[in-house]
Amino acid sequence: MTGIMQDIKFYDCRVIEGSSTSIILDNGKIEEISRNFTKGAGIRALCGGSWGYTSVEGDIDLKKGVKAASKLAFSMNASTPKEDVELAVINPPEVKDLPEIRIDPRGVSIEEKVDLLKSIESSAKVKGVNSTKVMYLESEFKVEYRSSDGIESGYELMNVGFAVSAVASENGVYQAGRESRFGYGYELFENENVLELAGKAGNTAVELLNAKTPKGGEMPVILDQELAGVFAHEAVGHASEADLVLEGDSILENRIGEQIASPIITIIDDPTLHDFGYYPFDAEGAQSRRTEIIKNGIFNSYLHSRETAAKLGGTPGNSRAQGYSMPVVRMSNTFVDNGDTKFEEMLEEIKDGIYLIGSRGGQVNTGEGIFQFNAEKGYLIRNGELTELVRDVSLSGKTLEILNHVSLVGNDLKMTAGRCGKAGQVVPVSDGSPHLSISKALVGGA
Amino acid sequence: MYELARKALRLAEIAGAEEAEIYYAASHSTGVNFKKDSIENAKDRLSEGIGIRAIVNGAVGFASTNSAAQIENAVEVAVAEARVRESDPDWVSLPSNGNYPTVSGIFDKKVEALELETCIEYSLELIEGTKEIPGTLPTSGGFTRAKSKQLILNTNGIEVEEESTAVSGFVDVITVNGQTSTAYDFAVSRSLDIDFFALGKNAAELALKSNDGIKIEPQKTDVIFHPFALSDIIGEALAPSLDADNIQKGRSGLIGKIGEELAVPELSIYDDGLIEAGIETSVSDDEGVPSQRTTLIEKGVLETYLYDSYTAGKAGVKSTGNGSRSSYTSPPSVGLRNFIIDYPQTDIIADTQSGIFVNTVIGAHTANSISGDFSVEARNAFTIKDGALDKPVKSLMISGNAFELLKQITGAGFDVRKVGGIITPSIRVSNMSVVG
Repeated sequence: MTGIMQDIKFYDCRVIEGSSTSIILDNGKIEEISRNFTKGAGIRALCGGSWGYTSVEGDIDLKKGVKAASKLAFSMNASTPKEDVELAVINPPEVKDLPEIRIDPRGVSIEEKVDLLKSIESSAKVKGVNSTKVMYLESEFKVEYRSSDGIESGYELMNVGFAVSAVASENGVYQAGRESRFGYGYELFENENVLELAGKAGNTAVELLNAKTPKGGEMPVILDQELAGVFAHEAVGHASEADLVLEGDSILENRIGEQIASPIITIIDDPTLHDFGYYPFDAEGAQSRRTEIIKNGIFNSYLHSRETAAKLGGTPGNSRAQGYSMPVVRMSNTFVDNGDTKFEEMLEEIKDGIYLIGSRGGQVNTGEGIFQFNAEKGYLIRNGELTELVRDVSLSGKTLEILNHVSLVGNDLKMTAGRCGKAGQVVPVSDGSPHLSISKALVGGA
Repeated sequence: MYELARKALRLAEIAGAEEAEIYYAASHSTGVNFKKDSIENAKDRLSEGIGIRAIVNGAVGFASTNSAAQIENAVEVAVAEARVRESDPDWVSLPSNGNYPTVSGIFDKKVEALELETCIEYSLELIEGTKEIPGTLPTSGGFTRAKSKQLILNTNGIEVEEESTAVSGFVDVITVNGQTSTAYDFAVSRSLDIDFFALGKNAAELALKSNDGIKIEPQKTDVIFHPFALSDIIGEALAPSLDADNIQKGRSGLIGKIGEELAVPELSIYDDGLIEAGIETSVSDDEGVPSQRTTLIEKGVLETYLYDSYTAGKAGVKSTGNGSRSSYTSPPSVGLRNFIIDYPQTDIIADTQSGIFVNTVIGAHTANSISGDFSVEARNAFTIKDGALDKPVKSLMISGNAFELLKQITGAGFDVRKVGGIITPSIRVSNMSVVG
């Protein structure tokens, strides 16, 4: 074993311990109360150009873990040797300015939480809604990081949030409305008007029952903050993740310094903001920092881990992992920066087109630079006025074309909390944007 | 932790649970992954934990942990949660009287005994396969093998234990020099019967064939969905409506449709926890109910929904053995077992005069799981002309409705694939709306 350790040029460990609570209220009934206590570790070792990774749940012997990961890395390097992996140098992170928590959710009784959920649910049950569901999530965890570079640090975070969904049906047609908010203390439920949000979810479901599906085709489009945020995250953010770039799976490969978007577009990833993608340092111990991905239309920077930063030149800070999984390059809080156009001005300018609102998720092919997102709903725009409500509408197209077709950027940036999946791992993120006006995009409908 | 499962059950009774259940799950997996054409990492993952359901006065509490030191605490929390809740009039009981069938093909000693070096070789085979097709490069992929163990105990006498193995291969390919097209292929199996070289080669061939895509006019046409595309759409837009929980909560498009002609008469769909070597095959479901074969749609007619023991108790029927958990951290809920789509098979492309063949789709998860409406972006799609694939199509949106789709099926191929638990041939659907 000593022989092996001589060839291991780097190793690190992340130990995570925490607990979570979830409460699900379904049609007025508590469907589930569940508590989960976890402990575990993820350990990496690097030998030449090969990574060995071991994850262990429960009570762990770190020395044993380091040995196991080292053995994997060593065997890999012996059987498929390749170019050495270099890691960008980092300084020990400073853990400061964590989100302040005014009301610790652990101090609130289960009964009180259930009562809150019940009032949220009854607000969602507007006339016409026949099914509702509310979910409450709370989690606290402690991360300890240690590496063979001598970096040793740790922090504790606590998240809390809820999601509400309402379903309305009529003559065999079912439509849903959803709202959710996530943050860092129980005061979230005071700061946000959660009952109003719940009512909004209910109203959306009912309104959509009688909405029509528009004819698809190319047309001018206005995206609301949520859908534009999804676009910034899915289509631009993922393509700027340096691991995908190195895999040859990004349309943004070799584009740094090029004008790839309309000059009014600036897209930023910033893990230091106290939104849902916040972290004080990343899964490699690198200080979190703001990155301008696109600056005034010019592609400015990839998002990096220590490995990709060394390979492509850049600054690490975007390496993240779900639990004990192996870290990969990820986004944090990703958004289109504010412009100066008012929403009303956008409507006037666009004249005829469609206003797409909210997102039912999206997917993107970063290699080919194409994407598809389904909006929650939309309004036809005629003569600069919002007219009929429409449903089952989607937006698809080429990422770079859309970026170039942005004609106006709003002044009303709004962030939405969510979860992002990549490499089989889900991490908390937020994304956002002001309203965006796009001169031409492919809208899918009937 | 395994040794602590019985103790945890006793602790739950001592703490005041009227009924209790311990779900123990452990797995050890090894994955060897590549980026571009070089092996990047090996991952070893050990996971083990216990989930506790405690019932007091018809109310259920749940807690879980992976730390031996926390078991007592978790048991107490589960019982305390149950006490907080009001009695659930729909609760009947935890499962009892497990008479288990025999299943075969889910454990392969060779998988358990695989050395890291052999795992690396399989991963290299995926890469080698892509190299058969010049003009392409793998972007990422890998080989994984896993061994799992599960133990379910409850105070009604359920005691069922099982070990299983699984292997999988995945490869993502991109074309180089000029046009950019991507494609992927993957396979999952209980034993080492996957041709990893062929997976790599297929993905590379498909990526290359997708170059120089044409634009097509919006139209209504015959679309043949490859098993990958079909299983994505079925899994997101149809399967949720068969879940009895969604039926009981008014969130399904199939409420009140039992006995109705839902599909063309040639179509049958089964949910089967017993088939030889199935990815979802096991002697019991995840709450100890014996596995069974359930006919969901027989000759076009909807026969039943899928139940776990709670939804079955509520409806006054027997569980169909569909209690499913994604991990020891969650209580059971209704989930699919091996979901088998059956339709008379022909040489389906040769039988098609004109239409579109779609290999994969993106965006299926955005479907409306209640109404069945979906709108997806077709990938690696080709026009069909006179019974053969003709030209690649660059970009294509397909919108439709999963329930309508069942009534418009006009054919199936010989190419049955196990896409995880969904087992289906390519399926041809008439009159689909496509926008190029």
